[in-house]
Formats: sequence, structure tokens, C-alpha cells
Amino acid sequence: MDISERLNLNSATEEEVEPYLEIVTELVEKRRSQGRIIFDRFVRNRTAIVGAAFIIFLFLFCFAGPLIWRIDPNLNNVLDVNSTLAPPTIAHPFGTDDVGRDTMARFMSGGRVSLLVGLTSMLMSLVFGISIGAIAGYYGGIIDNILMRFTDVILSVPLYLLLFVLSASFTDGTPKSVIILIALFGWTYAARLVRGEFLALKEREFILASRTIGAKDFRLMFRHILPNAAGPIIVNATLLIGINIILESVLSYFNFGIKPPDASWGNMISTGQVLFALDPWLILFPAAGIFLTVLCLNLVGDGLRDALDPYMTER
Amino acid sequence: MGRYILRRTLQAIPLLFLMTIAMFVLIHLLPGGPDQVLFNPHQTAAAKAQLRASLGLDDPAPVQYVKWVTSALTGNFGYSFNTNEPVTTVISRAFPNTLELFGAALLLALVIAILLGVISGVKQGTATDYGLTILAYAGIAMPVFLLGLLVDDIFGVALKWFPTSGTSSVAVTFTNPFSAFVDHLWYLVLPMTVLAIAFIAGWSRYLRSSMIETVKQDYMRTARAKGVGPVSLLFRHALRNALIPLITVVALDFGSVAGGAAITEGVFAWHGMGLLFLDSLGRRDYPVLIAMLMIGAVFVIVFNLLADILYGVMDPRIRYS
Repeated sequence: MDISERLNLNSATEEEVEPYLEIVTELVEKRRSQGRIIFDRFVRNRTAIVGAAFIIFLFLFCFAGPLIWRIDPNLNNVLDVNSTLAPPTIAHPFGTDDVGRDTMARFMSGGRVSLLVGLTSMLMSLVFGISIGAIAGYYGGIIDNILMRFTDVILSVPLYLLLFVLSASFTDGTPKSVIILIALFGWTYAARLVRGEFLALKEREFILASRTIGAKDFRLMFRHILPNAAGPIIVNATLLIGINIILESVLSYFNFGIKPPDASWGNMISTGQVLFALDPWLILFPAAGIFLTVLCLNLVGDGLRDALDPYMTER
Repeated sequence: MGRYILRRTLQAIPLLFLMTIAMFVLIHLLPGGPDQVLFNPHQTAAAKAQLRASLGLDDPAPVQYVKWVTSALTGNFGYSFNTNEPVTTVISRAFPNTLELFGAALLLALVIAILLGVISGVKQGTATDYGLTILAYAGIAMPVFLLGLLVDDIFGVALKWFPTSGTSSVAVTFTNPFSAFVDHLWYLVLPMTVLAIAFIAGWSRYLRSSMIETVKQDYMRTARAKGVGPVSLLFRHALRNALIPLITVVALDFGSVAGGAAITEGVFAWHGMGLLFLDSLGRRDYPVLIAMLMIGAVFVIVFNLLADILYGVMDPRIRYS
């Protein structure tokens, strides 16, 4: 810093000195809690914040967008030939589909379903998967064996077969039942990933050290081992959202979930596939919606992983 | 470790046995039966009843199950309702195709995913890393059907580099078995690439995340201080310790071989297990279905066991009591 600047600073008014004082108070500030450290690190990660901002924007676009964009997503206009399969215009920024419905309005209403189903089913799968994987990996032996053989059984049943069977007896098609159905079959990868990490991590010295000072099983599992297994869990979580959003449309083929004419990104893609040669725009927007969701959640997830990383020295 | 493998193998037998019961129940719970799909609507009721009896559909389900198990134990998995061929013939037509497609795609994906994962993990936060991240998520968000069509349109139809569909050239007889093999490989390229892209996208993410953690460990600094070269440092010291999540996921994806990849197989007319399963499901071809499900279960069990063994190889601290 230049001397003249320093002199300026000294002769400055009270308000301009304040930032300098703030730094001093921060230096003498008492020790931050672990949660606070993680939060501070996360906020400082620029890409994670960009990701979070995009996710918020997508949510606002889908949930608050219809307040401004007042076209009914299910309003068709078959009689006017010019209004079907139209490319993007000012009247329809995302174009229109084969029966003249506005794609942007459908993107919004479909996004509400897909974001809701994708996020909640991912969270539920993770809760199942992490609990089963953590218990199996931590305790090992017969508990591990039973839980993992159960996982093998679930992995061996093809989803399509099960959906066919369920579609006969199970006709409750609310988003809630779709979420539960997806979550019931989505936890297997998370469980095996978490178990693999636990098998390796529980043999590390720091676990022995915490056990020596009297940490109990539950504390060891969720406070000491789990944060170290955050990497694969976060990757799995972001991949699951993409998979689950697509899966939702497969479910509606079997009469679960969102029924036409109501939209979801998944069913917009599956109907767009048929008309791909005529109008590639139909598939572009919902696919971009899924892409942005998955990408941004991954950026947020990476930021979270970095913030949780004990090897990160920068605070 | 030898005892562990033996114990797991022995355990697999009752597990598979339990699974046959579960699968049998599931198949018989399918809405509609084979008679609704297979039979000619103009047949008389008597002819239909005769056919039902000859297929063994009149027995109560437990009797059908016992009959199936006893014959399956002697190696006879029954006859397809659809073509009347032995189930083993039907499956041995589709399975080599799928095995080949998956084997090639998985190997290709494994090599590329390891390279990309290591690069991305070591160069965390750089433009290379963000570029690879964006590509990976584009690969994940892209519907397989669309990717297949695009690849087929560009490299098959427009550029004519590779054949668009099928498994070998029709109406060409090769005198040399080697040129027939080359012709076949030519057909494999596009479906293999499409299938591999999805695997690469996911796997490279898992490896990237574990590499990021591994390169910060103290022993990496020690190795570097001892003068270990960068390639050896990454691929021998770091990779080995970063592989556990990748092994888990690769084994899970390998385990799904027997289910095939219906969408890719459909786009490229590659007649494998995925298409056979959907076809048999639509026709309610019970004998083929249950045989396919059991093959699938064997693959899941075998590959998850392999993953457990590999954990111990990669990290000797992992022990199974």
C-alpha cells in the first residue's frame, strides 16, 4: 500500500475507518462452530453460489413464472395449422407442440412436477441408502451380509416387470406415490457406495482415535465416517435426480404419475422423441431443464463436499 | 479371503432359490396371462383349453413352480410359449450379442472414464475440469434414445462411416472368417459408443470426486518428496486408493448386463437381452422371462461379490470377518 494512501486513510472520516476496525474484531472473534466454518467456506465458493443461484432461478421460473406467463399449459389449438409445432416466436418463446400448446407454459408446469419428484425422491433414496449402507459397512459380519443380500435381491428385480405388476393392483397416481415408488428402488447404488466407503474408512486411524476417547457407534458413524464419505454420496445424489426425472415419465407410461394432458419434463421428452424429426425444439427445452438442474445441483454438491472436506486448510 | 469367497458362493445357492420363488410370484402376478396374448382369437374354446393344458397353465401356481424347479435342476428350462423352442436356444441367440455389446462398451468406458476422472480430479476448479463437468452432465441429461438417433444420423447416415443398424452385413458371404469378424466389429462401433457415453459420464464423476480427496492425503506428499514421477504418482499411488466408489458402481453396472440395454439395442437393431426381455414381457412368455430373471440375479450376485473381493485387493485394511 502506498504511503500517500495510508495518510489519506488516517485523515479519513469515521465511516471509512470502520472496515479496518471490522477486520480487527474478526481477528479476535471467538472460535466459530464447525457448522459455521462449513457454511462460511461454502459461501466463499463462487461456482457453488452460481449453481445455487441458477437452481433458485429455475424454481422461480417454474413456480412463480405462471403468475406472469398466464397461458394455460393444457390449452390446445389444433384447428389453426400455423400454431402447431411452431418454432420459438415472441408469442411462444419456446414454440408450441403438436396440438398447439405453449411449450413455455408446459415447461413451467412440467418443471414443478419434475423438480418436486426429482428432488424429494432423491432425498428419500439417499436416506434409505445411507442408513442401510452405513449400518452394513460399519457393523460388518452378519448384519452386512443380510443387508447386502437384500440389496442384491432388489437389484435383481427389473423395474419394468415390477411396474407392470403394480400397475394392475395399484392405481393411486398422485406425485406422492410416484416419489415413494421411485425412492423404493433408487437406494441400492447409494447403499453399496456408502457401505464400500465405510468398510475402508472404519479401519483408519482417526476412527480408532475417536473410539479410544469413548465415541459411541452412532457418533462414529454419522459424525466421523459419514462426512468423509460425502464425495460419492453427492455424485450419486446429482445423478439420481437426472435419472428420477426421466423415470417419472416411464412411470406415467405404466399409468402411475402424471397423466396426459398434464406435463412433466420427462413426458415432454418422451412425446418429443416421437416428433423429433418434425420439431427438434420440443425435446430441447425439457432436456435443457434437466441438464441445468443436474449441472447446478452438482456445482452446489461439489461446493458442499469441499466445505465438508477436513483436508481443506483454507477457512 | 478364500474362505470368504467360498462362504459367499455357498450362500448364493439358497439366495438364488429364494429368488426363484419371488420371481415366479411376480411373473404370475402380471396382469393378463399368456393365453390372452398368444392365442388366436378365432380358436374354439376347446382348442384353447387344450393348448392351455399342454403349456401347463391349468396347474395351480405352486405345482407349476415345483415342476419348473425340478426340471430346471436337471438343466431343462422349458420351452418358449412363443416359438416352442427350448428356452436355452432363445436366450443363447440374444445373450452373446448383449454380452459383446456390454463388454466392449464397458471396457471402452472404463478406460476413458479413468482418464477423464483422474484429469478432472487433479485439475479441480480449472477450465478443463469445468469443461469435463459440463460434458458429463450433458451426457447424463441427454435421453439415450436421442443420443442414439443423433449418433446414427451423423456417423451412419450423413458421413456413412459406420453401418446404421444390425449385427453384420446381410447377403454377403465371407470366405475368410477374419473379414467376417471385422465386418461384425464395424457394426458394433456405434451402439457401443452410445452405450459407453452414459457410463463414462457417471463413472468419471465418481472417480473425480474420490481423486480430489486422495491427492490431498499426506502419503501423496511423501511420495512426491521421494521423487515419484507424476504419472506413477497419479496412477499407482493415488488411483488405487481412489478406486473404491468406482469399483462399486462399475460392478453394479456390469451386474445389469443380463438385463441388456433395451433402448440402445432398439435404435441399432442389435438383438440382445433388452429387446428379448421387453418382447417376452409383452407376450407373457413365462419360461423365457423366469430364465432371464435368474441369469440377471446370478450376474448381480457375482459382480457384487467381485466388487467385495476387489475392495480387499485395493485396500488391504478392509477385512471381512
